[in-house]
Amino acid sequence: MSLLRVDELRVDVEDKPILKGLSLEVASGEVHAVMGPNGSGKSTLANVLAGRPGYVVTGGAMTFADADIDPLPPEERAHLGLFLAFQYPVEIPGVSNMEFLKAAADARAKYHGEEPPAAVDFMKRTRTVAASLGLSADFLRRGVNEGFSGGEKKRNEILQMLLLAPRLAVLDETDSGLDIDALKVVADGINAFRAADNAVLLVTHYQRLLNHVVPDRVHVLSEGRIVRSGDRSLALELEEKGYGWLDA
Amino acid sequence: MAGSTPDADRLRERLAAQNSAYAPWRNRDACRDALAHSGLPHMRSEAWRHTNVARWYAAALAHEAPSPARRSEVAAPSSIAVAEFSAPCAASLAGGNLGAAVDLAEHPLAAVNGLLLDAGVVVHVPAQRHAEPVRIGCLGGAFQHVLVQVEAAAELVLIEEPSAFTHRIVEVIVGAGAKVHHLRRQAVGDQRECSLVAVRVRDGGEYALAQVSRGADLRRNDVVVTLAEGARSTVTGAWRLDGRGHLDNQVALNHDGRGAFSRQTYRGVADGRARAVVNGRIHIAAGADGSDAALSAKNLIASDAAQVFAKPELEINASDVKCSHGATVGALDDDAVSYLRCRGIGEAEARRLLVRGFLREAIADEEGARMISLAA
Repeated sequence: MSLLRVDELRVDVEDKPILKGLSLEVASGEVHAVMGPNGSGKSTLANVLAGRPGYVVTGGAMTFADADIDPLPPEERAHLGLFLAFQYPVEIPGVSNMEFLKAAADARAKYHGEEPPAAVDFMKRTRTVAASLGLSADFLRRGVNEGFSGGEKKRNEILQMLLLAPRLAVLDETDSGLDIDALKVVADGINAFRAADNAVLLVTHYQRLLNHVVPDRVHVLSEGRIVRSGDRSLALELEEKGYGWLDA
Repeated sequence: MAGSTPDADRLRERLAAQNSAYAPWRNRDACRDALAHSGLPHMRSEAWRHTNVARWYAAALAHEAPSPARRSEVAAPSSIAVAEFSAPCAASLAGGNLGAAVDLAEHPLAAVNGLLLDAGVVVHVPAQRHAEPVRIGCLGGAFQHVLVQVEAAAELVLIEEPSAFTHRIVEVIVGAGAKVHHLRRQAVGDQRECSLVAVRVRDGGEYALAQVSRGADLRRNDVVVTLAEGARSTVTGAWRLDGRGHLDNQVALNHDGRGAFSRQTYRGVADGRARAVVNGRIHIAAGADGSDAALSAKNLIASDAAQVFAKPELEINASDVKCSHGATVGALDDDAVSYLRCRGIGEAEARRLLVRGFLREAIADEEGARMISLAA
């Protein structure tokens, strides 16, 4: 039974067709990697799944956890368990990271008719998870992503993923701009998250993250469609040959 | 008279007939002279371009009969002398300083206040004294004057709680090397009110103002801080307006002595059909060399019908001066809203969080954050 099912999805960005009939199925317990050259539609796929504005579905369907998510606002998709790690996390001065995380946890509890987590427990847990990602307590007091380095922003996305424990984590180029140590920390975070009852969709340009997070399936995206799918060896093949062969 | 209105005429008549017995030691002649000289401001006065002062005249006339004497709500530690103007000791406690920091020619409504004065409190902090905070709540009248004198090297936290008035003057004299931290919270309401905060900071003194405001039917805040040699001041304001809320903030920082330092920071959000005015002024007098002054005003407009008028002004008559200013008017960051929504935070709550965060940029300390949480 698939957790995410994308059927013949067509998406326009600024009136330009970007996804042109993309199909994909991800089951619980699986890690899928979506790879492809710049402009192939990787980030569009990630963003349209999360429901970000500016991505207009013109055809096809997206089903997540048995729900048609196309009409749902982003916050409801999040409550159903869909998480997007942003390629470019947004800086929010004046709102502390901890306050933001608590607001997200509270919103989810409210949606599911549960009590919001007790502040003290939540803070304790957040500090523990942050420490496992090499993020200090001071980092939680600062404004969301405010003045964070590229690597800190990406680690902050992983922190949110671990705390919100989604059913599907869509990671949009979370590996880009990371040095090798940060890449390892992020990969460890993703591996710690992996479980039989959740799934990961890694959107990436490079295969180097896949040395640390081994995917079950690899898809190659070109011109808004998946042109090839395979196991991990497909990523290694791409690494060797580049994306040029897609045009041949 | 050009720009005169029936309410202004009636107010003028009433001021002429006014012969208040309240705090007779208040120098009313100066108020009469100032009004005779400059007259009442009207809609075409530059300082009142965006606030219809005639509507305030109507409110001032509504207080024809002085309200029955209520006790003023002022909470102060016993180490600080506090007296209502009606008390026998008030005149000597004020020591002839009442109105000394107020430029009546520049602020004619302060002269109106002087003539109609019906509530006042004097606060005196002796030299070297570091006391617990003084809280100013409701004062028993419509035209109010709070005189705060902080002697050399003393420290005071002055808290103005939300309260009703038609006009309020808060006059603060900060002695040499003394420190005053002034917190003002103005709640949402349907009243028409004007206030003047007039501050003189003597050599090496410090004055910090943190003002958090919501809108009223008409709310006008004038703040004038005059700095002597080596004095310092930070003036911060955060405001959030909605509905038909109106707020007009006029702030002037006058560097009179050498080497003075000032910072003005304003953050505001206007929603609904609200209207906000933010005029920040830096004036560096001749001879005030080595001054360091900066002003930053950022405003958000959250709806099509809201209006913000922001105008920074600089006047520099000295040399070797560091001075900067910036004012922006923009909208809430859609990317930030989208980011929060993708984490499950609904749109209304996302906007509320962002507004609060934006306002906290102005007043970052703990007390400021608390005031903003109460207001936003």
